[in-house]
Amino acid sequence: MITTKNLCKSFNEHTHVLKGISETINKGEKVVVIGPSGSGKSTFLRCLNLLETPTQGEIWFEGENITDPKCDIQKIRQKMGMVFQQFNLFPHMTVLQNITFAPVKLGLMNQQEAEKKARELLSRIGLADKEKSYPAQLSGGQKQRIAIVRSLAMNPDVMLFDEPTSALDPEMVGEVLQLMKELADDGMTMVVVTHEMGFAREVATRVMFIDEGIVKEQAPPEEFFSHPKDPRLQEFLSKVL
Amino acid sequence: MEQIFNYILNLGQRYYDAFFADTRYLAYLEGIKNTLIISLFAVLLGVVLGILVAVVKYVATGSKNPVLLGLNKLCRLYVTIVRATPVYLQIFIIANLIFTARNMEIYAAITCFGINSGAYVSEIIRAGIESIDKGQFEAGQSLGLSQGTIMKSIILPQAIKNILPALGNEFITLIKETAVAGAIAVTDVTKAAQYIGSRTWDVLPPLFIAAGIYLIIVLGLTKLLAIFERRLAASDHH
Repeated sequence: MITTKNLCKSFNEHTHVLKGISETINKGEKVVVIGPSGSGKSTFLRCLNLLETPTQGEIWFEGENITDPKCDIQKIRQKMGMVFQQFNLFPHMTVLQNITFAPVKLGLMNQQEAEKKARELLSRIGLADKEKSYPAQLSGGQKQRIAIVRSLAMNPDVMLFDEPTSALDPEMVGEVLQLMKELADDGMTMVVVTHEMGFAREVATRVMFIDEGIVKEQAPPEEFFSHPKDPRLQEFLSKVL
Repeated sequence: MEQIFNYILNLGQRYYDAFFADTRYLAYLEGIKNTLIISLFAVLLGVVLGILVAVVKYVATGSKNPVLLGLNKLCRLYVTIVRATPVYLQIFIIANLIFTARNMEIYAAITCFGINSGAYVSEIIRAGIESIDKGQFEAGQSLGLSQGTIMKSIILPQAIKNILPALGNEFITLIKETAVAGAIAVTDVTKAAQYIGSRTWDVLPPLFIAAGIYLIIVLGLTKLLAIFERRLAASDHH
């Protein structure tokens, strides 16, 4: 579904954040990306929908080279949902408007269909009564769950999560992870950058360790956590587990 | 002692001469009319120019289109020149460059202050846009929205709350700056006061009257803006 070929990203001559990542993410996979801060894991994720432009290499999505300048990236992004650390809900719109704005604007649904879908999604996460609220009136956990729903309303083929729980108060982490877990159980293809090792162990089909701009090790979670081979990964795990 | 007494007694007469005698208040009214016309149209022109420059700058950032980059250079040159030269000089140049015919002075003044104000307005708008968190833009991008839609429906509605107060201040500054229009023989409030002073052989009273007029206009406008800002804040959900 997503293939990267020798993906490189530098911000200037001195900071090479990604130094050649060649990976394939298949349909239905739940890839959890972990690594120390500054390792390039967020940059890797943000390259996948071209929020960061790679300096070298190619990214293919559903058989299309999206790094090709001729590619209509806006069309591609409609199929790739993204959830941010800081939620990034639109503060001047109500919850319902946040969810329905893009699908209606892009002509994927009309207003009634979009609202129906939004209400369905909202009641699924137990926030049906919040549709007229503004983001500032919600807790962090509620905001992030609505941000997830906003992406889901686009019917994406893959969901990208950029440290979705890192900005949350501890007691709100659970509700967001629970929603992500449900999403995984529904068969959604997911790429998740996170520090939540419990989530990685429980939900991931593959865990990827990125350090110094390359993928140092990857394996299914049982093997990854019980028999890490790379010395940097062993050191990292000993600190976070 | 007697001198002071006489001075005070005379004051009434002097200000009467400066304002009411020979229906001179009509000259002030004419001045107020011109000052307001110049300010209003100049601020409109300034806002249009400012938006254009800000949009060019915004779209050109990160673009490789040579036309856009050329336009952006032109805009930068415009802002730099306007901000680095005195408005007193600019108005002479405009008046002698474009509006050389008689009775065109007021258009020259509007053009000059509009161009001048556009440079500052573009900076105000740019700052307003930049005050919005980059994550808002990225969220729009990640949903597949176009740059134009993100700008129009997500960034600008939020930025406008930061832009409007600064724009109000720009308008107030502009009203005072239009006093320079007298240099090319536009009868604004200041020029009217000068004319009257030269007629009555008593310079100071009309100048103080003109000062009072500016004060009333600016304070009134400040009050209006404050009400407006409170309205905006009330509709704010942050």
